[in-house]
Amino acid sequence: MRRVAVSGIGVVSPLGNSAADVLANARAGRSGIRRLDIPFASRLSAPIAGTADFDEEAHFDATQARMLDRFSMFALYAANQAVEGSHGALADVDRSRVGVFLGTGMGGTLTMDSGYRTLYGDDSDRIRPFTVLMGMHSAAAAWIGIEHALRGPNLTYSTACSSSAVAIGEAWMRVACGQLDVAIAGGAEAPLSPGSLKAWEALRTVATMDADDPSASCRPFSRNRSGMVLGEGAGMLVIEPWGRATARGATILGEVMGYGLSNDATHITRPSVEGQAAAMRSALQSAQIGPGEVDSINAHGTGTQANDCTETAAIKAVFGDRASQIPISATKAMHGHLLGAAGALECVLSLLAMRHSVLLPTVHLQQPDPDCDLDYVPNQAREGTAARTMLSSSFAFGGTNAVLVLRGSS
Amino acid sequence: MTSTFERLSAILVKNYKLAPERLTLDAPLESLGIDSLGTVELLWNIEDAFGIKLPSDPVDLPTLGDVVRFVDELVLRQAADPAPAAGSSPGLRTT
Repeated sequence: MRRVAVSGIGVVSPLGNSAADVLANARAGRSGIRRLDIPFASRLSAPIAGTADFDEEAHFDATQARMLDRFSMFALYAANQAVEGSHGALADVDRSRVGVFLGTGMGGTLTMDSGYRTLYGDDSDRIRPFTVLMGMHSAAAAWIGIEHALRGPNLTYSTACSSSAVAIGEAWMRVACGQLDVAIAGGAEAPLSPGSLKAWEALRTVATMDADDPSASCRPFSRNRSGMVLGEGAGMLVIEPWGRATARGATILGEVMGYGLSNDATHITRPSVEGQAAAMRSALQSAQIGPGEVDSINAHGTGTQANDCTETAAIKAVFGDRASQIPISATKAMHGHLLGAAGALECVLSLLAMRHSVLLPTVHLQQPDPDCDLDYVPNQAREGTAARTMLSSSFAFGGTNAVLVLRGSS
Repeated sequence: MTSTFERLSAILVKNYKLAPERLTLDAPLESLGIDSLGTVELLWNIEDAFGIKLPSDPVDLPTLGDVVRFVDELVLRQAADPAPAAGSSPGLRTT
């Protein structure tokens, strides 16, 4: 297996639309979760979300924009940023050996929602002709392939909240084993349609709104946590063999060392300690490192009652007595749950944190929970502490658990 | 009265950002960057603008002039017989 370098990072998120902004906001503990300013907000019990400040018209001309759902715009913008930042990863490459690997949970749900509103809300048959092309989950990856003329595998993964961790992991395998020379990998999600917001509310997994400070509504690992908050955005990486990246003088932003998968196979929503622990162990095995080499973890940390206790127990199961010495960051408290893009954004945050010697905080950790008694880096970033190796965990409804092993680059 | 060609040109200028001087009756749609997929969307916009219902059968419209003749014929036919060509379209009744 070849070593795999990360040579480009692109991001659209509630914490900003560049690696620099995202890192600055995350290390300052600033939350990108805000009160939703849409007409439909009055029909939501908790009108909050992690929203990306993304001007669609500034980034896409009208002809292009009307073929793109917002999730595809996020993906394209982030992929272009990553390619540009890689300083030539796609120059002098056989484009049949470049792949696109993208995770999304809900695909073009805004487009589909708009179509249904026409059909049922307006009682009209005037469905827009591009609804299928904009709504399909594979659209975002397809557009990235078209934009850069990439003729290798173009794959979309949909395993709910682990989709983009799976996409990055699968891309890593293809590059590591020698099948591909470059991969663009990550995820994109734009889930803030009325239908989707209402459906998540109906499932009773979303947080109640903090009346005093809506931005503090998501509180992972805090005893007073009340659920997750939806977020939107994309994270995309350019990955390539280590030797190729160094040979062309690329700035290496980190390394993907391995990836583990497991399936709970028990319940459609309830997470399992065994399943989460198995994914972490499988990740360590694939990276050929022992648990002693993990310095820090970006937790799945959704802020739901069920996840946070289960994840804490799973970390203890894998790391034993050392678990309490491993700093754990639950960054969803700041950016919300980006569903299919969550794993990619958290992978980006982990790489940036290692590169810039900071442990990112779990903000809004107001009340210790006896069932969540590890070191979650509560409320304040720890500056000057560089983790060398991190796990980034993504655990999904449906039971597909995916864990990436990442190494920093200074 | 505004001609069909002028109304069609207005849609093309507005939605496709095309320069008006490029729009002539013998201009192939392909040369304007409107491929078969683009034509599907153009026809959808035409339905709204002209208050007509297009048949669902495939139709070959290589040039702007072909589109104009096709639309004129449908406007005439559907003015004589206002029943929709295919399916129901409640949204159209309000236009």
